[in-house]
Amino acid sequence: MPITTTRRRLLAGSAAALALPAFARAQGAVKPRLTAISQWSAGSDGAAITALGKKFEEKGGVWQHSPVPGFTTEMMNKLRAQIIAGDPPACSQLKGPEIAAWSKIAPTVDLDAVVAAAGYEKVVAPDLAKLHKPGGKWIALPLQIYSTNMLFLSKRAMDKAKADKVPVTWADFNDLAEKMKSGGVTYPVANGGTRADDGQKFEASLAGISPAAYRTAIMNLDKKALEGPEIKAAFAQMRKITNWMDPNVGAQPYATNLKRFVDGDMGMMIMGGWAQGVLRNAGFKFDDFVIAPGPSDNGKPVFLLNADAFIFWQRKEADLQAGQMLMAQLVMDPAIQTMYSQITGSIPVRTDVDLSGEGWSDGQRRTAAALKDAVANNQAVLSLAHNMAQENGLTAAMIDVFTEYAKNKTIKPEEAVTRLADAVEGAR
Amino acid sequence: MVRRLPEYLVIWVPLLLSAAHLISFSIWTIWISFTPSTLIPVSGWVGLRNYNAVLASRNWQIAFDNLLLFGIAFVLLSLITGLLLAILLDQRIRAENVLRTIFLYPLAVSFVVTGTVWSWLLNPSIGIEKLVHDLGWTSFHFDWLVNRDMAIWTIVIAAIWQSSGFAMALFLAGLRSVDADIIRAAQIDGAGPIRTYWRVILPTLWPITITVVVVQLQFAISAFDLVRALTNGGPGIATQLPALVVYDLMFQRNQLGRGAAAAVLMLLILLAVLLPYAAWRYVRRRQAAHA
Repeated sequence: MPITTTRRRLLAGSAAALALPAFARAQGAVKPRLTAISQWSAGSDGAAITALGKKFEEKGGVWQHSPVPGFTTEMMNKLRAQIIAGDPPACSQLKGPEIAAWSKIAPTVDLDAVVAAAGYEKVVAPDLAKLHKPGGKWIALPLQIYSTNMLFLSKRAMDKAKADKVPVTWADFNDLAEKMKSGGVTYPVANGGTRADDGQKFEASLAGISPAAYRTAIMNLDKKALEGPEIKAAFAQMRKITNWMDPNVGAQPYATNLKRFVDGDMGMMIMGGWAQGVLRNAGFKFDDFVIAPGPSDNGKPVFLLNADAFIFWQRKEADLQAGQMLMAQLVMDPAIQTMYSQITGSIPVRTDVDLSGEGWSDGQRRTAAALKDAVANNQAVLSLAHNMAQENGLTAAMIDVFTEYAKNKTIKPEEAVTRLADAVEGAR
Repeated sequence: MVRRLPEYLVIWVPLLLSAAHLISFSIWTIWISFTPSTLIPVSGWVGLRNYNAVLASRNWQIAFDNLLLFGIAFVLLSLITGLLLAILLDQRIRAENVLRTIFLYPLAVSFVVTGTVWSWLLNPSIGIEKLVHDLGWTSFHFDWLVNRDMAIWTIVIAAIWQSSGFAMALFLAGLRSVDADIIRAAQIDGAGPIRTYWRVILPTLWPITITVVVVQLQFAISAFDLVRALTNGGPGIATQLPALVVYDLMFQRNQLGRGAAAAVLMLLILLAVLLPYAAWRYVRRRQAAHA
């Protein structure tokens, strides 16, 4: 009877498949395996993590990545559910102060030995290193760095404005926007309407006006600094920016407008370096746009740091533990960081990677140089809009103020200052 | 008794299970709302601190005002639209079945789809406004979706489109169940069609109206998916609704305690609607029993 035979074959096959891991263990060699979750599923982000997975497999590992598409918070909900169920992934995406907060609810892996063996600490910016070793021990590893305040200029809009100089200060920026407006660019500032977008407009304004005030007010939440003159000036600059934006974007992401930006219908975009990857992925060329550090009134680049990272959760299984060590080594590897950043448009975490070679864009070289400069001048600060400066609750309360301010032009800057201070007080 | 055991099992087991589910999770949420839980639930007691924080937050205040406006406008307008459609359909017209299906169809569409489609239609740069501009009327202005004072009305529009068919179906059933003799009697007494509707038929629809109001109100209070897809609380935070605030606090801000407090406040609002309804039904049933 043919049916029985098929069934029997199937049974035998599945028994063999079940026995396979046990067989491997019996051989003595544990095959490294990694269960990982992240939000990176599509576009350049998806391509980059898939490439990382390939490298992991080339080293003999089993790569089990489950992407949770959407915002970071949705990935976090899955992570929370897995942690509560007592089954955390061996490794997950997490970043900024959330690393410290989450490390309190489930045990993490001590990575000190493997980090020391790679000599990694010397080549990571100190502010960034601090975020990844909350209790003094490395439990997470940064993967790539973006600046959230890069300035993208549309070549065609520049032509319309008959301008070729990249703006350095906010005054330059405002001049250029006016020139673009009179040159026929409908909206001198390209924008999206998401909460993070609105947050970025504020943080870029404040950090460009005074990185020191940004540090005390936004990163350290100093009450006096939060009501200081720099905050009011930042809201005033943000109002100018919002007046040059397309009010009709609704809640669309910035990427919706990239074509209008390249066409010169929109002029300048204040966005993270990841927009380069998105622009390239959408088929636009490097001569369509210019990337420069965001406006800074003291002329020296200000770097609003955003870094993606992996945190490692304790697991008992030998194969997962081996996978975690392999993953840690890969993430710190300069060749892997180069591969990853070249796909996504970010810059490597390691400050010793040479970006002069093939495969890097001018924008990336400029970003890396800006980071070096900013670190040297103490002008590298942590991004609020992308959850690097504060925990989610506080960040969201502050962004409420920014997003309302962006959309409601009757709110005066001084009023916004009070609202921001109140929001911080209420969320604490 | 033994002979009827299967019947009891079929009714009571699922009923008790779902009641236990509902009650246990409600109690759990109430308990969480008094704890200092943030990322994950923890025990502890903070009294009314979570409630005070939620009630003092701008998000909740905006959400509550929006709920009042949205709830009243949506329920009234969907009631009127539904009744009007039902009366028009009741005129023994041709193709009634087809029209009834068309009007009921939006109910079969998920709110997320409704929200997404309307967010395209109402977006000034790609939707209705652009269409009218392209047709030649360039001064036409319809930017409610991105206008923070009017955005809440876009949710009302989409919600009415979705659920006035439901009100229509109930009203139509009610209209059809009116005794034909009464209508004929009214006509013999010389009442015109408008007078017949106003004085004779509509008063008999009273119980159906109450049902529609209660069903629509509980939808309005718990509205989430429609708003999330249509405006996501924006522009800014102008179209926040309580359910959005709960989700936001629990799953985006990692403040489980405050989120639970907001959820309990929502439950209280629901009870404020449902308890009078239950009381009204109780009174009616007693009146009917005495009559």
